[in-house]
Amino acid sequence: MSTKEPTEADILRPINTLTKKYFVLYGIATLALLVFLAGWAYQLQEGLVVTGLGDWGSGGGSTWGLYIGAFIWWVGVAHGGIILSAAVRLLGMDRYMPIARLAEMTTIGGLSAAGFYILVHMGRPDRMVTSVIGHYHITVNNSPLVWDVTVITAYFVLSATYLGLTLRYDVSRLRDQLPDRFEPIYKIMTLGYTKQEDEIIERMVWWLAAAVIIMAPLLLHGGVIPWLFALLPAMPAWTGGIQGPMFLSIALMSAIGGVTIISYAFRRAYDWDHIITDDIFRGLLLWLGFFTLLFLWFQLQFVLNGVFLGPNAKAVSAEAKLAHPLYQGAMFLIFSTLVYIFLQTIRPSLFSKKRALLASGIILTGTLTEKVLFVVEGFKHPVFDIYANTPGTYFPSLIEWASLAGTAGLVALLFLNLSKLVPVVELHAVEHMRGDHAHGDEATEPEVEA
Amino acid sequence: MSTDDESFHPLGNEWEGELESMLDDTEYDSQLGMDMARDAMRVTEGELSEAEFHEKYHDDVMEEFGEDERPTKEAYEKAQEETKGTVSRMLDKFDGDGEQTRREAMKKMGVGAAAVGVGAWGTVDDGPEASVAEGGHGGGTETHEHPDTQWGMTIDLERCDGCLTCMTACQQENDLDQGVNWMYVMAWEDRNHSSPDGGQGLVDSGAYTDFNMGSDFNMLVRPCQHCTDAPCEKVCPTTARHTRDKDGIVLTDYDVCIGCRYCQVACPYGVNYFQWEDPSVEYEDIDGLENPEDPDEITHAEYEHGERWVDSRAPRGVMSKCTFCPSMQDGKQGDDMVGTTACESACPPNAIQFGDVNDEKSDSYQHREHPVKSRAVAHLSGDHISSNRYVPGPETVNETLSESDDIESAIAALDAANESRTFDEEVLSMMKAIDIVSERLEPGDNKNTTMIQNERTILESLDAIEGYVDLESEDALDTLNLDDGSEESARFQLQQYVGNPSSFNLLDHIGTNPNVTYLGAEPGSDAYQVEGPTKYEDAGLLDRRQEKLDNETVGHIDGVSL
Ligand code: SF4
Ligand code: SF4
Repeated sequence: MSTKEPTEADILRPINTLTKKYFVLYGIATLALLVFLAGWAYQLQEGLVVTGLGDWGSGGGSTWGLYIGAFIWWVGVAHGGIILSAAVRLLGMDRYMPIARLAEMTTIGGLSAAGFYILVHMGRPDRMVTSVIGHYHITVNNSPLVWDVTVITAYFVLSATYLGLTLRYDVSRLRDQLPDRFEPIYKIMTLGYTKQEDEIIERMVWWLAAAVIIMAPLLLHGGVIPWLFALLPAMPAWTGGIQGPMFLSIALMSAIGGVTIISYAFRRAYDWDHIITDDIFRGLLLWLGFFTLLFLWFQLQFVLNGVFLGPNAKAVSAEAKLAHPLYQGAMFLIFSTLVYIFLQTIRPSLFSKKRALLASGIILTGTLTEKVLFVVEGFKHPVFDIYANTPGTYFPSLIEWASLAGTAGLVALLFLNLSKLVPVVELHAVEHMRGDHAHGDEATEPEVEA
Repeated sequence: MSTDDESFHPLGNEWEGELESMLDDTEYDSQLGMDMARDAMRVTEGELSEAEFHEKYHDDVMEEFGEDERPTKEAYEKAQEETKGTVSRMLDKFDGDGEQTRREAMKKMGVGAAAVGVGAWGTVDDGPEASVAEGGHGGGTETHEHPDTQWGMTIDLERCDGCLTCMTACQQENDLDQGVNWMYVMAWEDRNHSSPDGGQGLVDSGAYTDFNMGSDFNMLVRPCQHCTDAPCEKVCPTTARHTRDKDGIVLTDYDVCIGCRYCQVACPYGVNYFQWEDPSVEYEDIDGLENPEDPDEITHAEYEHGERWVDSRAPRGVMSKCTFCPSMQDGKQGDDMVGTTACESACPPNAIQFGDVNDEKSDSYQHREHPVKSRAVAHLSGDHISSNRYVPGPETVNETLSESDDIESAIAALDAANESRTFDEEVLSMMKAIDIVSERLEPGDNKNTTMIQNERTILESLDAIEGYVDLESEDALDTLNLDDGSEESARFQLQQYVGNPSSFNLLDHIGTNPNVTYLGAEPGSDAYQVEGPTKYEDAGLLDRRQEKLDNETVGHIDGVSL
């Protein structure tokens, strides 16, 4: 391990450098987003008929598809990200402090992508404001979709506040070394800042973190998002109490996977070996393994509860899910990753950052596949399974596929832009690593031998 | 839970004490609040009926809050039949104005009582779904009062011959795209019900029996069920999907819908069709009624406060489904059309009976409650394609019969009176049997009473015949196979002709409370659709809409599916 001391200059490096690689990456991300925007424009012009979607029932199609699957997936990444960062603060997992802000930014990115998907999915996105907000006081009483939007908005506000508050500390201290061209932004960010507020903010952030951790299973990815599906008695592939825990485990898997990839990229780009250490990757990988295990356990619960129920709608849908080659493929990949993660804890030499990266990529692909399948499977085996045209057919159109690249591009652009504006690693983390601060114990996290 | 007998609330005495002091702080009478709360709990526990509850507190509520527009006791009991009571809804009834929410009603009763109400509500033994459903009434529904009129259908699946005429009629009435089958008719089989061999084309091969089955196929006619507890409405994030207050039909406001398709996802029956692209009929080309140039006439339905665009095909990007033809119910297509739908009018064997499901004189009610008699009436009055019998009008009877006729000669004479149609013992026997079982309801000025009117026409003819021939004698009853002339034997005789169908609601266990009732065999949980007597394409219809939609999909690959 490197013995270099992390410095302020280290975390300011992304802001004060401009490389060719940065431009290339920026170009690719922009292109991906533009291609999708063009596709979306075409969709707005022609109608949703340009997607692969259709009417379930006599129509022989699938009402929701990749857009909704990717929507829940991004929300999962976002929720997982903020949970990760909250856990770091709340449980004193100081080791992960250097990536806490990356996790928060992932949340902002994920929520932006998810919000964008809501618009893309709608038949009349132009009416979102008038129709949804205008009747909010009525619909919030029943529609899980409205709860969803409410919770996502609440989380966006919460995460942004969280990020904003912690940034005040950094920006005010590092102001002299930050570029002048963003002066107005920094001014707004540090409006009214005084040293005395540090302590108060620390306490506020702690409470926000506590709120995030408590709300996560009850309201977020363990609650409202699965309820969107789980409360519909007519679609047995979606119903059941296991969906809450399942969604939450997927959220955490995806977020850890995503944060691993982003951390890897930053470490490589800015020589942060001494900041985002190998130790962090090992720890993340272990957590990834833990949530993957939970996920597989929940899947098993769902499938077993279905398949052994006897010949009813729930059994039919569970069997169909189990028999789907894509499902089998995704589960195989996820399971293999789990095996690898546990093997490398027994035999540390099996660990490498590239492998951790690969594992993250596989998990992200696996969870996205599961999400899209989950959505589509619902329509395939409803309780009222009489129609000859049900299960219908659905395959995402090119525009739908492009949306994945487009939203990934969107999130990449967010990181590329933010990294030029503010430090993506907290000043606190640097101070902490230098031993400027006393810190709490690390008993709650898994110990990994370096 | 408290075991303390003194306390009415499950949380016990302490809680109750707290409530009392909270109530003391409100401007209303706290003793009244506590008493009402106590009795509300008793209603939940079934010790007290809702009507008694209201009886008991009417005067006090009037005095205290100056308003009490609850329905009368009779109306109450009727409403009670329709829904199970919960405390929260009972509290609602103290609040006459439909615009006000339950919350406001509770506020009137004081914070404490409201808390008790909610507590009691939670303990009602019908599970979390019922609680959600309760909330649902506040949803897209304009108000949560029960409408006076509730349009609905009784569909006799054994009279349906699978001709698909209703589907075509609906498509024409509403200018629907190909594949947008608001009305959908299918044949099915399951473990216990099979179709005749030979498949298509059996209509011509004599599938009709004389009085009974429309076809040998098991049919299912599937419009929107216009559910009282419509899940589609509950989930709608915009209130575009709503129940029209005045007549209980479930509609989509095309000007409000954002096209999220959550209703389509939540509807257990799969009756929704999204407008994925521009509809094939331009808005300007939709014919208005009196003024063909003004499509608004037929596309907009009437509401308490103005009009909303809820009828005919949907514009691009919003959801559509069967509407129960609001332009007809609003009287815009003439008084004759009130209480009818395009599919009902089109159905040759009169398998669809539309009407106010709460009105005992309506066709849907009559057909649901008296299926045997109604089938006999429908059969004897319709122009059913393969039944060649007829019921002579009173004039024909008077012209044909004389005092000297006995039952045999009368039948022979009436048969001879119509050259192309038959009158026989069976027809007379059915007429007499109808007479015996009939309550002889007067149609009055109620809408949609074709069934009772037809019954009256038949009975007028019968009365005319009985002016010449004694049909009550033992001999006559014997000839007519009516045994001792009792109701039981009459019903039995009718059943011999028309069967005795059981009735069912589709997916009753899901709790949607559909307003469509079916007569005939219910598809089992393993039922699957099979080819029916008429091919969709032969009727000019598209069954699998995806075939059409796939043409526009960017980068569609044939045969590839998730
Ligand atoms: S059948 Fe019921 S749930 Fe389905 S669209 Fe009609 S009213 Fe809504
Ligand atoms: S598609 Fe329209 S009617 Fe259906 S739930 Fe969404 S907004 Fe409501």
